[in-house]
Amino acid sequence: MDLTPNDEQTVFQTATADWCRDNMPLEAARARPAGLWQQLEAMGWTGMTAPGMDLDHATEALVFAELGRFLAPVALLSSAVAARWTGATVKVALALPADGGARLFDGEGATHALGLFGGALGHFEIGEAPPSAPSLDQSATLTRIAGPLTIVAIDHPHAALHLQILAAAYAIGAADAARDMAAAYAQVREQFERPIGWFQAIKHLCADMAVRCAVARSQLYYAACALDAGDAGAAFHVAAAKRLADQAALDNGRANIQIHGGIGMTDEAYPHFCLKRAHLLQHVAPAERTALLAA
Amino acid sequence: MDIGFSLEETRFREACRDWLHAHVPAEKRPLNAADAIDFDKAWQRRLFDAGWAGINWPTDYGGRGLSIVQQVVWLEEYAKAHAPWIGANFVGINHGGPTLILNASEAQKAYHLPRILKGEAIWCQGFSEPGAGSDLAGIKTRGRIEGDELIVNGSKIWTSFAHVADWQELVLRTEDGSRRHAGLSWVICDMHAPGITVRPIRKMSGQTEFAEVFYDDVRIPLANVVGGLGNGWKVAMSTLSFERGTGFIADQVKQSQEIEELIAAARANGMMKDDRVADQLAQMRAEVAAVRAMTYRNISHVVRTGQPGAEASVIRLFTSELGQRLERMAVLLKGADILDFRYGDDDAVADYLRGFAATIAGGSAQIQRDIIGERLLGLPKSR
Ligand SMILES: Cc1cc2nc3c(=O)[nH]c(=O)nc-3n(C[C@H](O)[C@H](O)[C@H](O)COP(=O)(O)OP(=O)(O)OC[C@H]3O[C@@H](n4cnc5c(N)ncnc54)[C@H](O)[C@@H]3O)c2cc1C
Repeated sequence: MDLTPNDEQTVFQTATADWCRDNMPLEAARARPAGLWQQLEAMGWTGMTAPGMDLDHATEALVFAELGRFLAPVALLSSAVAARWTGATVKVALALPADGGARLFDGEGATHALGLFGGALGHFEIGEAPPSAPSLDQSATLTRIAGPLTIVAIDHPHAALHLQILAAAYAIGAADAARDMAAAYAQVREQFERPIGWFQAIKHLCADMAVRCAVARSQLYYAACALDAGDAGAAFHVAAAKRLADQAALDNGRANIQIHGGIGMTDEAYPHFCLKRAHLLQHVAPAERTALLAA
Repeated sequence: MDIGFSLEETRFREACRDWLHAHVPAEKRPLNAADAIDFDKAWQRRLFDAGWAGINWPTDYGGRGLSIVQQVVWLEEYAKAHAPWIGANFVGINHGGPTLILNASEAQKAYHLPRILKGEAIWCQGFSEPGAGSDLAGIKTRGRIEGDELIVNGSKIWTSFAHVADWQELVLRTEDGSRRHAGLSWVICDMHAPGITVRPIRKMSGQTEFAEVFYDDVRIPLANVVGGLGNGWKVAMSTLSFERGTGFIADQVKQSQEIEELIAAARANGMMKDDRVADQLAQMRAEVAAVRAMTYRNISHVVRTGQPGAEASVIRLFTSELGQRLERMAVLLKGADILDFRYGDDDAVADYLRGFAATIAGGSAQIQRDIIGERLLGLPKSR
């Protein structure tokens, strides 16, 4: 039993964070450069658990939590899952079911989309889709396609869990980003002749953000290991990780805005990026109550 | 990262399980500390004789010298077997002993540690005073040096198990005119010494588990100072890190049983049909799982680096508040039956009422949030 990253995993984690800081800063999330996707593919993040790289879920989850911290494109989630379970080697858009059709995120340049439909994971050909526009999460573009969809189901029970755990990792990244942004601001913004982080009302909001991150991240690690081990409780543990991660991302997203005061609710400042990302992820493979209460 | 246990650890787990299955007493632990003292001592002695006391304590002092992972495995199996609460041995086993292992002289360790492990010596913690609770540095109890003794005067409060204890972790002011963190010492106080008066205090749950302690010219040999005269603050902080850290692993394991019992109870009495109840139970089941994951992560950190991670205070805070949510749910599921509660009952209502301690004792939830904000996030110190 060891729930701390091993040396190899730490290298993956640090390398990911370093690359993101230099090439994909959170601050630039609203307009990613056109060539970004090719760079992400070149870094190997679209197929870490797929044949060829064959890494485990734990390593991939650690890396995706870092990617999530920088609000990396959500199509990485669907593409990584497709690579593992369908052998796809191209960009695959992220789909959420909507009125018999689907919402497609990050669809540019993708011919296929993947998502959870009626509790089962499936993928389908996109065909003619209307042009994309920004979604609530400005880092992700959105287009709607009408049904009926011809969905090819992916039967392996771990496939849906794979999408759920990667979305959880992303949400933890977003929660981390909000926590760090809030703590950094609380250290420098002064009112009443002292940093606002001196006031317990602010300090304790920040502490709660740290608690939510630690709780969700720990469960993420456990769930990823359970998935790797083929543990009988894996479905529960992944659902638990997703539930806690979504809450951390949403609650931290809101707290971060409050801690920034007026500037926190402007378009120009960055706190809303984390909250909006949390709202998108909340709808990706949500943790069902039945999964959390299953025997 | 992996969640599997080694063959050795798995064998160890089976041995724990087998022994516990055969030896966990059928009778319940009495409720009050005074009534339970014989029970607690006898049970601790049985654990010691069978080799289950001090699993990761050094062998020189009666421990087994095994790993902290094995200690966790033992505590997991202990809780699963519904073995008795550690009771009056809490202080000695969970933080008195560990503080001595880290800070005490050879003579002090050789005398006290085996007695703690055998259940022969009950310890209590004399930190808090009427004027020094969250602000522990406000301690006023004084020890005047006279020859090779300290002459102690003052009082402590909220001292759990004081009325049944043989020894005390006593933190007091040993330097005249010293202020705050300076001039304090951590000493081993003989609770049977002349000049000590213990006045038990009853809790709102009915038990008398803690007490006020008065010191009237109590003589304590200077040889009982642990970690050096004037170093009391540093030693006390190590005590608190044990109290807030691994001392609570057993509680965390218990929570995983409590949530299953609550889910079963809600299904049985139909309250699971209430969406809010179902959702809270689902939520808490996820949280209980996360607490185990956090504990494993922290233990892994200890194994890797030799020290608990900075997140120990996070575990402590989250677990204490989760415990209270579980207790509130248990009370909710009982409905109006809670009104039948009377002092002496040992049920969900008693647990709920006693459970308020979780966010007060050993550093309140507010103080824990300060610590997390300041040490983990680098925010400026408020105090
Ligand atoms: C069941 C139980 C068992 C105990 N056993 C022991 C024992 O064995 N030995 C021992 O030495 N002590 C023991 N204690 C005492 C315990 O450590 C203290 O109760 C605790 O440190 C709080 O101190 P206080 O009760 O004086 O409350 P106070 O410090 O007066 O706190 C009152 C309220 O004010 C808040 N507060 C205080 N300071 C701040 C601040 N800076 N910022 C924000 N909020 C603040 C607190 O969080 C709390 O809500 C026990 C307590 C309980 C309840």
